[in-house]
Amino acid sequence: MSSTVERIRREIVSGHVEESVEAVKEALQQKIPPQEILDDGLLPAMERVGSLFQEGEIFIPDVFFSAKAMHGSMDILRPLLAPSRLMEMGSVVIGTVLGDIHDIGKKLVSTMFEGAGFNVVDLGVEVSPEAFVQAVEAHQPQIVAMSTLLTTTMMNMGATVEALLKAGVRERVKILIGGAPVTRAFAEEIGADGYGSNASTGLEEAKALLAALKGEGK
Amino acid sequence: MGKTLRVNVGDTTRFRVLSEDQISEILGAALEILEGVGVKVNDEEALKLLQKGGARTEGDDLVKIPSALVRRALQTAPGRIVLANRDGGRDLVLERNRIYFGTGSDCPFVIDPYTDERRQCLFDDVLRAARVADALGDIDFFMSLGLVSDVPRLTYDRHQFLAMAMGTRKPLIITCLDRNGLADQYEMACLIVGGERTFQANPYFALYAEPSSPLTHSKEAVGKLTFAAERGIPVVYTPGSSGGATAPATMAGILAQGLAETLSGLVISQLKSQGAPFIMGGVHTIMDMRMGIFSYGAPELSLLSASMTDISKELNLPVFSTAGCGDAKILDEQAASEASISLLLAGLSGANLIHDVGYLESGLLGSLDMLVLSDEVISATKRILRGVKVNEETLAVDVIANVGPGGHFVGEEHTRRHVREEHWLPTLMDRTNREGWEKGGAKTLGRRVRERVIDILEGYEPDPLDGQLLGELKTIVALADERYAEK
Repeated sequence: MSSTVERIRREIVSGHVEESVEAVKEALQQKIPPQEILDDGLLPAMERVGSLFQEGEIFIPDVFFSAKAMHGSMDILRPLLAPSRLMEMGSVVIGTVLGDIHDIGKKLVSTMFEGAGFNVVDLGVEVSPEAFVQAVEAHQPQIVAMSTLLTTTMMNMGATVEALLKAGVRERVKILIGGAPVTRAFAEEIGADGYGSNASTGLEEAKALLAALKGEGK
Repeated sequence: MGKTLRVNVGDTTRFRVLSEDQISEILGAALEILEGVGVKVNDEEALKLLQKGGARTEGDDLVKIPSALVRRALQTAPGRIVLANRDGGRDLVLERNRIYFGTGSDCPFVIDPYTDERRQCLFDDVLRAARVADALGDIDFFMSLGLVSDVPRLTYDRHQFLAMAMGTRKPLIITCLDRNGLADQYEMACLIVGGERTFQANPYFALYAEPSSPLTHSKEAVGKLTFAAERGIPVVYTPGSSGGATAPATMAGILAQGLAETLSGLVISQLKSQGAPFIMGGVHTIMDMRMGIFSYGAPELSLLSASMTDISKELNLPVFSTAGCGDAKILDEQAASEASISLLLAGLSGANLIHDVGYLESGLLGSLDMLVLSDEVISATKRILRGVKVNEETLAVDVIANVGPGGHFVGEEHTRRHVREEHWLPTLMDRTNREGWEKGGAKTLGRRVRERVIDILEGYEPDPLDGQLLGELKTIVALADERYAEK
């Protein structure tokens, strides 16, 4: 592996945003193929970040900065990568459901997803079922992720699943839900495909759903 | 129920976290946040009130509040608020350093005391929690503890209030979905106490409402706030920020932002109705940076609560505080430690309404075990707070002279006279010797607590609501169910 790719890894793991982007640019100048930068630099770096986090060596803000570094690097690489490779990495439409303005949990999840290479379309907060449907039609994601902190707005997750069904796009996507009051039993009750009890288990679940979707040949 | 304990005065134990200089710096920062950064207000009426009052608006919903407005609001807000019980008794006098303890509200889960199963909270669970709170001598007010889930979701708050009023006669702090939910509960409360005027003279409940950190007042929160202000319903306006996530990581930063959030609520309430009863809040803690949870067992929660209480005394506002809660999943050693540290600190600080007693699992689980254990910890805490009474009688030099070197005090009249007042006696903590403990079944604290819970549930009956009144209350709830079912 080139020393520049190694440096990219190091800078991303350390959460140095500008340095990571610089290193990626340098690697491209050295004619290192974008695919190689991604596969030997960015992805292993984020895997390392994930395991450091699991081991309790680094904390959420550290992961956040690494994810930002990853995201900044991806912005440069994305136009240079084959569309099929991008598709493989997955895309997700995410939002906090109607009636709830809580942003932070959903933002953390978005960041973790971006860090793992997902293309993330963040619809923000108070997202109506119709807005989810429109976003699915416009962005063709593999995953729809919904968040809520309030027990009172949980039912709007169910309403969104219904709306996706009615619009005939339900089968195209996997639905992932999360938030403090949400449980796996509730996910099953409303017909969602997956549930994450926190940002990192949400990410694991998303990866599994993506794999399942590929298995179904979609 | 014992007499109200007023701490940090007379012989009682003294405690404070912040110096006057620190308070003034934090307050300065809060005023700068309000004046320079501004808050988001997602409500037309409140925006107009603020504009008319002299605040500057930018864009659709950003409001910058000059400090003069805050000063004026602090002057018109009542420095004392009284909360009454179901029979009109003026039980809680929210004044500087008077402490009261109560439950938290709206946990989605409970542990069934008979089966030990963790499950969703039902109407009967809130009723049970109310009955247990009613029985406990050191629980002064009641919040629902659980979120009623076996009723229509759009009107659950009315059902929940019914369970609360049925189970206890203690003063309540209620939550609601929105203005309409509040209006129905207010109607129910007025029916119970005998009319609006009686409610306003002796408010039977305070309303809990919360802005969203950072610096955002949702339409629902402001709607509740202004509805309550107009009718003289005391409001606990309490942001809940997690340091490092929805507020800065630093304690001072959390306090400054939290204060800006509650003070902007105060301004709105006073603009709506001068003299509206307002209780400042702030359930501030840290986000655990490994788990991402809002920690209810963090020492920082207690440190921040005590700091907010110090600030409230400077502002002469009644204050809402937090203790008796934790991140433990059941009543285990962790829960006991979390309860003890937080209850002692909140008591020492002299906070008025110390809530969330009984919360486990970071606020997701309402636990009767935790509530009953906390009642005992509060009792012990109060002993510490009562402090050391120093006078000729208590110094007892003459008694010591009488006994002399080598004697004993068991046979002294002085001992008999003072032992009940000066010595605290536990009812759950075990002080038997090993033989006695083994004979009693070698029970852990957890088992003794659960037995107390069951004893209360089976043996204690609160004063019931009048039958006809109960019928009328149920009618209001049923009408609300119908209204929402049509939609």
